[in-house]
Amino acid sequence: MKVDIEALVADLQPVRPVKPNGGILLVLATAGVVVAIVVAMLGVRPDVVAGKPHPMVMMREGMMLVLGFATLVAVVASARPGVGQVSSGWRWALAAASLFPLTSIVLTFAGDGFPPAVLFDFDGRICLAFSAGGALLIGTSLTLWLRQGAPTALNRIGWLVGLASGSFGTFAYGLHCESVTVFYVGLWYTGAIAMCAVVGRLVVPHLIRW
Amino acid sequence: MRVDEASLQRLMALAQQGDAIAYRSVLVACQHWLVRYFSGRIVPAQVDDLVQDTLASLHAKRASYDASRPFLPWLAAIARYRWVDQLRRVYRSREDELHDDLVGESEEESIAARISLDRLLDMIPERQAHVIRLVKIDGHSVAEASLRSGQSEPLVKVNIHRGLRKLSALIESE
Repeated sequence: MKVDIEALVADLQPVRPVKPNGGILLVLATAGVVVAIVVAMLGVRPDVVAGKPHPMVMMREGMMLVLGFATLVAVVASARPGVGQVSSGWRWALAAASLFPLTSIVLTFAGDGFPPAVLFDFDGRICLAFSAGGALLIGTSLTLWLRQGAPTALNRIGWLVGLASGSFGTFAYGLHCESVTVFYVGLWYTGAIAMCAVVGRLVVPHLIRW
Repeated sequence: MRVDEASLQRLMALAQQGDAIAYRSVLVACQHWLVRYFSGRIVPAQVDDLVQDTLASLHAKRASYDASRPFLPWLAAIARYRWVDQLRRVYRSREDELHDDLVGESEEESIAARISLDRLLDMIPERQAHVIRLVKIDGHSVAEASLRSGQSEPLVKVNIHRGLRKLSALIESE
């Protein structure tokens, strides 16, 4: 047997067990920084400041938080592996969030088509840029934290890191976003989160492989 | 050396605090457990390397163990991860006999059954598991696996690739 157990024992140092709450707090702190940047650079919707947000703002922001938390919990749980511990609650949150793009598609085909004003809205590009930029900060901190753990399903975790960071990044921009149409959310918010998820799938597995 | 689940859990918690004696006990117990776990599930000449890799991973990732949870499912997740990683590596072996003298000796049979590698292979389509067993575990060539399985050589390669990808996603599944 080649295994040199004594060498491993000699290398033993006390370690602080990985705590999922630490990952959650780190992401929330980073998301707080992103919110502060959005507020400082773009400002916050007046109805949010007044404490009486538009119903669509409530729904979209709430949905981003639900999706963000559900995927974040799955990611941090993956840092401590164990057969029989697969977390799948995030799938329901993702299904619920998909109602926005699905509603847009249904309304597009059932009504007068997709509004060109939403499609060519310059704010949509701003939305993408700020959401993705915020997600980059959040995703980076989450990935760095995750490297101390031992995730085993690397591709799935890549998707989830992208979804979590994209959701929180989009939530932050949504505090400023002036649009309250389901088409806008269905296109630009979904696009931002999907883009983050794809980037997460492509990049994160390489960074957390062990 | 046989150490029960509760003792492993306690010893690993001590090892995380830097207790070298407890850690040595954990590693020796894990070494025996891993030899049994991998035997018959990979070409015999690869077992030692795989055990070594897994113990090194255990060492590097010991902070990821939660002392409030059972130890063996954690060890099994690390072992499965290393096993799938090993299967991914392209290798050929002339050995065609698998020794199974150590298989089935675990005193934690219910846990072992739940976390076994065979169970993992059972969770992917049979056509994929069959060619993975032939090529990656029994050490046959793709051409030989093609003859034995009735699948064309390109299909054997595709099924190995898809099967390994699915195994990677199922590591923590019961």
